[in-house]
Amino acid sequence: MRRIGYVLSAAGQGFWRNPVMSLASTFTVTLMLLLFSFFLTTDRGLQAAVGVLESKVEIATFLDDNAKVSEILALKARIEADPAVSRVEYVTKDQALQRLRDIADRRKDFVIADVDANLLPASLEVKLSDAHQAQRIGDDLRAEIGAGVVADVIDNPQVVDQLLTITRVLSVGGIVILGMMLFVALFVIVNTIRIAVHGRRDEIEIMQLVGASDWFVRWPFILEGMLVGALGAVAALAVVFAASGPVTGAMMDFLVTLPISLGPEFAFQLAASVLGVALLVGAGGATLSVRAHLAK
Amino acid sequence: MIALDDVSKRYPNGTFALRDVDLRVDAGDFIFLVGSSGAGKSTLIRLLIREEVATTGRVVVDGEDVGRMRRSRVHLLRRKVGVVFQDFKLLPRKTVAENIAFALTVTGHEGRVVREETERALSLVGLTARRDHFPSQLSGGEQQRTAIARALVNRPRILIADEPTGNLDPVTSWEIIKLLTRVCELGTTLVMATHNAEIVNALRRRVVHLDHGMVVRDVREGLYAA
Repeated sequence: MRRIGYVLSAAGQGFWRNPVMSLASTFTVTLMLLLFSFFLTTDRGLQAAVGVLESKVEIATFLDDNAKVSEILALKARIEADPAVSRVEYVTKDQALQRLRDIADRRKDFVIADVDANLLPASLEVKLSDAHQAQRIGDDLRAEIGAGVVADVIDNPQVVDQLLTITRVLSVGGIVILGMMLFVALFVIVNTIRIAVHGRRDEIEIMQLVGASDWFVRWPFILEGMLVGALGAVAALAVVFAASGPVTGAMMDFLVTLPISLGPEFAFQLAASVLGVALLVGAGGATLSVRAHLAK
Repeated sequence: MIALDDVSKRYPNGTFALRDVDLRVDAGDFIFLVGSSGAGKSTLIRLLIREEVATTGRVVVDGEDVGRMRRSRVHLLRRKVGVVFQDFKLLPRKTVAENIAFALTVTGHEGRVVREETERALSLVGLTARRDHFPSQLSGGEQQRTAIARALVNRPRILIADEPTGNLDPVTSWEIIKLLTRVCELGTTLVMATHNAEIVNALRRRVVHLDHGMVVRDVREGLYAA
């Protein structure tokens, strides 16, 4: 117990012996962790958005009014054979008209005059399991326009493509920036602990002289590094959770069509990752610093 | 207790600090290491507590080959070998009692043991009344007694004193020597490096004379100079 007491009090004293340096490094760690939280949250949000959009990707293939049912069913079977396709639905002219009537019923500003001739074309609605293939399948079907069966092809993969690009750029850029921040935070902690070690070099010399184990010498500094990390994590998480309400609100207004919400499970994962990274960086930086001193 | 077999220490710049040294010190012995500055006394002491490792030869302390000892066991050696220096090396922000207790705390002893052993060491060196003073409030002799108490509090088998009277006036030096003699009589092996001829000549103990890294004289009941 006395050992633990000594190590803890030495770590605390170390932190407050040089408060400017300790707080500066805590602040650096906080910034690094804020950036980390930001990327983690953005990445998770974009993944969710991509998921939602991908499930909505479909290609509408409008059919020629003169196409025979056998030809249509053959085309349907051909499309269904593609591994990137999850389902193909055949919408007849009557069904298309019925859909239009349903929409009109829900919206008062929309009136359909009773018409005998149904001008709406029949269509095949192609749902995809792999959104990345939308472009290829769309192009294949477009090549058949004018051959008697396919009249027109409408697909909406651009949004997904753009989102996928953004996600990729963000994760690569994020990892690079995060890596640099991590390096800076590590560097600052190494220096903070180096100053702490220097301030206590007489004490360390005597500890080694009277036979304290290396771990006994190291632990106060490692804990001091972890203390810097932990305080940085607490500060960063406080900022993140204080900002999460307003930011989520703004995002919801902005992305009304995307039902994305990051629940308490994600909040817990975020807090755990931030704290874990903080403690690792703190302990790692301190270990590097003390090892360098003890090796002398 | 201490055995050096054919020990040489060569520093990276090529100079030999010790050359072919053979030395045997039995348990409970009191030996003086004498010789001019740079003769190798400090290097020999550093080999004993493994602050340095011999280039060739074998250094055995309390049955253990110090040169081959794993780094993770060095602290155990240091608990068996207490050291005091000319400049005391006390922590200025700790009291006498705290300086002594520090050696016990950082070697992982419990609170009760720390208190009891600290009191024992304080009374051994006669500083019980000064226990709550800071080093800056003490005389040189009292500071050295504090350092001796700290070196003894872990009950080492060997006490090494590197010029312990170097910073002290003659009267105070004698107090320290009397204290060290008593420590030796209580069973601790004592190795003392010194330039103080008066003390060496008065005590008539074993004298090991180093010159240019070699043992040039090793006599029982010796004098400072041949």
